[in-house]
Amino acid sequence: MVNALTCLFKKNVTEDIPVRNEETERIGRDLKAEIDSVFGRSLAVRELDTGSDNAAEIEINNLCNPFYDAERFGITFVASPRHADVLLVTGAVTRNMAPAVRKTYDAVPAPKYVIAVGDDACTGGIYAGTYAVLGGADKIIPVDLKIPGNPPSPVEILAGILALMRKARSCQ
Amino acid sequence: MSPVSVPELLARDLAGTVISWNRARTGPSNEVYLPVSPDELAGVTGQLAIHQYALIALFAAENFEGQPGTSLLYAFQKREQLIILICASPEAVPSLARTFPSASWFERECRDGFGTTFTGAFDTRRLFLHETYPEGFHPLKKSFDNAAVATGASVPKEEEYPFRCVEGEGIYQVPVGPVHAGIIEPGHFRFSVIGETIFNLEIRMFYKHRGIEKLAEGRTPTACLPVAEAVSGDESVANAVLLCMATERISGISVPDRAWCIRTLFLELERIVSHLNDQAGMLVDVAFPLGASQFAVLREELVRWNETLSGSRFLRGTICIGGIVRDVQNDDLTGLAGFLEVFRKRYQIGLRIVLSTSSVIERFATTGCIDRSLVVPLALSGPVARASGSPEDARVQHPYGIYDRYPVPVKSLFDGDVLSRFTIKSAEILASLDLIGRILKEMPTGPVAAVKPVKDGCTLALIESARGQNLCWLWIRNGKIERYKMRTASFCNWQALEHAVQGNILPDFPVINKSLNLSYAGTDL
Repeated sequence: MVNALTCLFKKNVTEDIPVRNEETERIGRDLKAEIDSVFGRSLAVRELDTGSDNAAEIEINNLCNPFYDAERFGITFVASPRHADVLLVTGAVTRNMAPAVRKTYDAVPAPKYVIAVGDDACTGGIYAGTYAVLGGADKIIPVDLKIPGNPPSPVEILAGILALMRKARSCQ
Repeated sequence: MSPVSVPELLARDLAGTVISWNRARTGPSNEVYLPVSPDELAGVTGQLAIHQYALIALFAAENFEGQPGTSLLYAFQKREQLIILICASPEAVPSLARTFPSASWFERECRDGFGTTFTGAFDTRRLFLHETYPEGFHPLKKSFDNAAVATGASVPKEEEYPFRCVEGEGIYQVPVGPVHAGIIEPGHFRFSVIGETIFNLEIRMFYKHRGIEKLAEGRTPTACLPVAEAVSGDESVANAVLLCMATERISGISVPDRAWCIRTLFLELERIVSHLNDQAGMLVDVAFPLGASQFAVLREELVRWNETLSGSRFLRGTICIGGIVRDVQNDDLTGLAGFLEVFRKRYQIGLRIVLSTSSVIERFATTGCIDRSLVVPLALSGPVARASGSPEDARVQHPYGIYDRYPVPVKSLFDGDVLSRFTIKSAEILASLDLIGRILKEMPTGPVAAVKPVKDGCTLALIESARGQNLCWLWIRNGKIERYKMRTASFCNWQALEHAVQGNILPDFPVINKSLNLSYAGTDL
């Protein structure tokens, strides 16, 4: 009992984010509005690494940190392709990964979108034409949008998702 | 290479074997090269095993030192001693996997890459070439030009990878991956479980095999830097510096002092960022988001400092042969010093909250133990090994750059559990902050790059990345890279995971995995 009361009355252990990035906030607000109108409330995103150097995953993971907190804009990262609206593909598609990539894409229910994140996923990058990779994501599955960068920053990835939502709405 | 000056300890450890040191030579990193015949191999390696040497790499090269065919190079390490046995153009060599368990993956790698036969090997399955690749395809042979090969689109059921079969009453299999539930890299885990308890785990990697080693061949060292950075995104600086270091040692380039200070600053920032990411991840995996968020916020702020200092959140494109690409503004360095003082206090507050939360400690303690006896046989390194009693750190045993002037304290713990790894990483973050503080105070002025031509030769370079010892054996011929053998700490440390999880419950797997912080990209290459 005493413990519960001390918790209630003691100083907050949480703190404000020291840096507020206006660009993130602006993109986020627009994104929320677009997601509401296209998907109705939330956009389920599944990340699919097809052979990246892990930098792009780190930046996508950063979207969930308290600075960006992408969930407040209506983006949820889901655990299964069966729950996803969008696949975020990172890395050039390796030959070893290709069968799993096809299965993952097939498991996403339609309508579905694919975003290639990073130079390697967009074009095959430095690996293009070598024995171990097929090339960019579009070599094996249809890609709706490409976000270049080595890797693109979290803000650029958010802006990319926003662009896809605008594209999706214009096609409605 | 220069004639040999065999280190006394090495000569003593190998005294019982019938080898002649006349054949030995010393390389630019003070590594000793010793040619042996396939018949002598067992005797020499047996002696090395008795004296607790670790097999840290085994790789092949074609037409090495004028020997036709494929030569095998076995790199052994014990503290400061480095010895590379060269076994020239063997038709078949005896497998070392029963004496040195770390040899198993290395041998499978050589078999895939070059088609080498290892007699008596207990595991002859493919490693980095999965089933879709055709039979008899060996991409690292010089006779193969790096171009697309015809591969199957899918794998027929009868050709699927044969996992070790674990059978018995109540044992069932849980297959996980290659596509995981989180935002993580791909790999396959085959658990054999009794109830909730993990009885056995077999890991299958190399889904991300991108042909890094072949990609490097024929490039100049400078053109290879983007390839080195792509080995593993969060080790970009370490692997770029490693490649530069090897090139500089071969070519006799001395890097200006200020360049090494800034390189070290970047290396240590990368270490802090990586450790913070692990610590946050471990706390997420035991459902303690309050602690995780504290570290995630600090990490993001540090990543933004990376961008301020270098223009890249991953410090990419900053390292070049002979030094660094651009000097860092002194104002930025002063700003960083101020930030890091506040950073340290905030980190310590976060740490205090975490370590005084009993639910966290209960999940961390006694979970995922790695026994000290595994460290040498599996060639484990980094915080993983140091949490299991190893005193080794490449910055101390094989100091490079300014680390001999700025020695880092090496801390070891002996429990080998998740809590030990968490604690070691905390200590290393604080030690890195101390080191950065000293470097920033004593930052020299002067040029930041030396321009000198690249020479031909080969060497084995070691670096301590956030995950442990990364090594690179670089062979330059006619100014171009002839062979770029990369082995990251993750390659060896992955095999510790199979041991760490035994007897633990399946729900603890994520936190055990995160505490080892293994790079899939850095393993699969």
